[in-house]
Amino acid sequence: MRSGAVALALAVALAACGSDVPVAPEPTGVGPAPLRALDNVELLNTLRDLFPDVKAELPPLPDDVPVAGFENAVEGQRASDVRVARIEAIAHVVADHATRDPSQVRALTGCDAAADAALAQRCAAALFDGVGRRIFRRPLADEERARLSGKLEEWRRAIDFAAAVRLTLAAMLQSPRFTHRVELAGPGAAPGALVALDGFAIASRLSFLLWESGPDDALLDAAARGELDGPDGVRAAAERMLADPRARRSLYGFHRQWLGLDRILLEEHAARAPEVDAEWSRATRDSAAAETRLFVEETLAGGGTLRDLLTSDAAWVDGEMARVYGLPPPAQPGVFTKVTLPRGERAGLLTRASFLASFSHRGGTSPPVRGNGVQLRLLCQLPISPPPGADLSQPKPAPGEGPRTTRSLFEERTRPASCQGCHAGLNGFGFAFERYDASGRFRTQEAGLPIDPRGAIVGTDVDGPVDDALALSERLARSRAVQRCAARQWFRYAFARAPVDVEASLLDSLTERFAASGGDPRRLLLALVTAPTFRYTRAEAPP
Amino acid sequence: MRLHRRQMLQALGLGAVGALFAESRSARAGAPAFPTRVVFYVQPHGHVPRAFKMDAPGPAGAVAERALGSLAEADLSPTLRPLHRYRSRILALEGLSHTSALADIAEVQRTGGDLNNHQIGVADVLTGARALQRPGTYCTGGARSIDQELALRTAGPGRFGSRVYGYHYVPNSVISPFSYLGPGQPTPMVGSPAVALADLLGDSAPVGPATTRDEKIRAQRPSVLDAAAREYEALAPRLGPEARQKLDEHRALVRDLERSLQTRAPRCAGSASGGGHEVRQFMRVVRLALACDLTRVVTFSAPVPECPELGYPASQTMHGYAHQSILGDTSCGQAYDPVAERAMTDLDAWHAGHVAALLDELDAVPEGEGTLLDHTVVVWLTELATPTHQHRDVHTVLAGGAGGYFATGRYVRYPQTLPNPLAGMPATGPAHNRLLVTLLQAMGQPDTTFGMTGATAADGTPLSFRGPLAELAR
Repeated sequence: MRSGAVALALAVALAACGSDVPVAPEPTGVGPAPLRALDNVELLNTLRDLFPDVKAELPPLPDDVPVAGFENAVEGQRASDVRVARIEAIAHVVADHATRDPSQVRALTGCDAAADAALAQRCAAALFDGVGRRIFRRPLADEERARLSGKLEEWRRAIDFAAAVRLTLAAMLQSPRFTHRVELAGPGAAPGALVALDGFAIASRLSFLLWESGPDDALLDAAARGELDGPDGVRAAAERMLADPRARRSLYGFHRQWLGLDRILLEEHAARAPEVDAEWSRATRDSAAAETRLFVEETLAGGGTLRDLLTSDAAWVDGEMARVYGLPPPAQPGVFTKVTLPRGERAGLLTRASFLASFSHRGGTSPPVRGNGVQLRLLCQLPISPPPGADLSQPKPAPGEGPRTTRSLFEERTRPASCQGCHAGLNGFGFAFERYDASGRFRTQEAGLPIDPRGAIVGTDVDGPVDDALALSERLARSRAVQRCAARQWFRYAFARAPVDVEASLLDSLTERFAASGGDPRRLLLALVTAPTFRYTRAEAPP
Repeated sequence: MRLHRRQMLQALGLGAVGALFAESRSARAGAPAFPTRVVFYVQPHGHVPRAFKMDAPGPAGAVAERALGSLAEADLSPTLRPLHRYRSRILALEGLSHTSALADIAEVQRTGGDLNNHQIGVADVLTGARALQRPGTYCTGGARSIDQELALRTAGPGRFGSRVYGYHYVPNSVISPFSYLGPGQPTPMVGSPAVALADLLGDSAPVGPATTRDEKIRAQRPSVLDAAAREYEALAPRLGPEARQKLDEHRALVRDLERSLQTRAPRCAGSASGGGHEVRQFMRVVRLALACDLTRVVTFSAPVPECPELGYPASQTMHGYAHQSILGDTSCGQAYDPVAERAMTDLDAWHAGHVAALLDELDAVPEGEGTLLDHTVVVWLTELATPTHQHRDVHTVLAGGAGGYFATGRYVRYPQTLPNPLAGMPATGPAHNRLLVTLLQAMGQPDTTFGMTGATAADGTPLSFRGPLAELAR
């Protein structure tokens, strides 16, 4: 009883201090916060932002291990000798290129050279306060400064000051404070207790979520001033960050991984069978990926929503994509130029070459593959594997049978009732895309036969027949099932793990917020970053 | 252990094969002993059985074998023919079963999950364990794979536990690795021979006194790693157990790398130069890694070539052919296609050619009285028994002497007498877990099990996966 009284008194006292201070009871619905390592994109973006002048080619990091499509998944982050060796090599290349010129060393430390230990210590302090704080994403603690400046002095004596700065940078870039996202609950926190993260930890969470990179000086300054200690301050910072060009990285990065927008870059899509599209090349494939990226970035940068991504008739095309989309070639074939897609033929992400071709075989379309793409990606419906022994080969007309459409061949193959449990949905979604060939070009006939582009939406809140892919996209853009899937995946992207049971109400409220805004990812993100799960962590029991 | 770049450049200048040698760290004066090494060559998509099988005299119910040493090239099966020059140094195995995968499929049929038997085969082939089922995505490897188990046991100061090279395998539009550090944790794979080579050559701390400023800076790399490791060590006590363990694994690898850079490179030289097919370039890197004892375990995830490389039309894919390649073993009314069978047979021979090239590389490195190949076992295996997704009657090739462990020069056929974990399916041969045990023992390990230790057949018969395949040993 006594502790309850104290808590109540504290709450009253805090309430008197102003609206920024949370007076809510201990937040509920906060899941675990496992230690995260930077994924490859985050690591490389952070290095680029830290050292914008360094253009050196870096040794390749081993691939991240995506879980459910997301590369930052904490489940996939296991230490390996290859990764440690690559980070070591990268740290040295970056540190070398960041200290080659005396002016670079001066910019980092305020010193040209340091002839004695006392001066070197002052220069080291400037290094730690400046780029050091950016690398560690918080001010260095006294013992960290002592350890690192001891090393710096050792290296200065062994070589020279510039070399010591270079090696100190290389050491900091291999520190767990850089390679991992360390969030300490602070001394004295009871094991299992919820603890509000400090401003620097919030700055990192915001920055990696909204910029796919570490925080800049302005954000760290805001953290130091205490501006990120309450939900209003976090919200204001997030609004500023979403207006920054760096937010493009996350808005695209999320959609790339959610919807598999870079699947087209898989090796199997480097070619199309000559009888499908003799002009398809690696350049076409690369253009398809670039076109989709531009579309997502530009649409969202202009205030667009998920609905716009699924229905907009705007596109940015180069010569390759103009050919695939049946548009006149742009004046400069190598430059992506804004156009309006042919009315009635094409609108939204699902009618882009990056989707249509990457969910096709090189020799022909596969309606179930495209259907599975929609179900898995847009609706978060798990792939149900074909039963053992199912024939997954492309169906062909029997010898002497004459031409048939892909649709009729798949209808026949999957007609048995045992197939229809899955194929009602797979075919329903997939058939709606049959007016696009395996490279994504619009067609009305196949093998001289007219194409029936009617499909059906199955297993959602917007079920029913649709006339074609455009109607399908319009309908899905209004679907609560799609919005819920988006909210779930934004959660995964933000926290690098699947939501746990206690977070169901957060998912509900994210879905609500997202739906109410017509699918505006910014509204969802603002709700997400002000939620307790984002601002609190659970103190782990020390071993 | 990294070679100093200068040593390597000198070696590259020598060029010619024959300048290669290795000295065992454990060599006693005057009596060099050579460590046993293992290379896993994993071929996706299975073998065409009748292109691999050879007659072996003996009753169907017992292990039968045939000596290969006296056979002419034409007497070998089409798949084994490219290995003719190594016929006395291989063991061709017919009739093992991926029984652990079959048991896993039977279990997933009961409990639900990703039942794609191709994914399960990929997850099983090097682990011999149940696949890891995860909501919302395909299943993946459920345990540490044998190469990584051996890597842990054979790593040493300055020696990589393993190297994993090759090509992503993408059977269901998801990258599906064969090698795992642990459940759901694929081992990082190096996908370019040039990068693989650069890893081996490294930019080591200079051997001998550093004179130039650049050498002095590089000489401090272990010291920089020490500084980084100290940051790990300072942080650890402030973390909870899970985070602490995760950081500690990184810290240990940082310290390993620090030690590696300080270890004096052995006297070793080798060339990995030369062009040719990218797979052949990888094989030269494998030779260098093993010859210089930079690792004792290599896994090569072989590519699936584009059809035109084997003379088939670009409109087709090997995956497409696979499903139609076995007479009497296709489904849903899809016709068996003899062209598909020929394509998959050619694919088997294509892989055999690459395996033979790997054996050429290893046999070109003198070691003691013999060659590196005599102290290595190359394991050519595949995740499916057949391109049509069977998991029983598997075909496997072991090559090399593994330091005298294996009695080579034989074709061995295992009888299909054990009941299947899947109801209504044909009988099986010994579980391939026992092959994995055999490999552990060939590498000097005492284990008698690996992965699953047994399963229950559909008819209730207990199946044991314990113990090595004794008939393969000398």
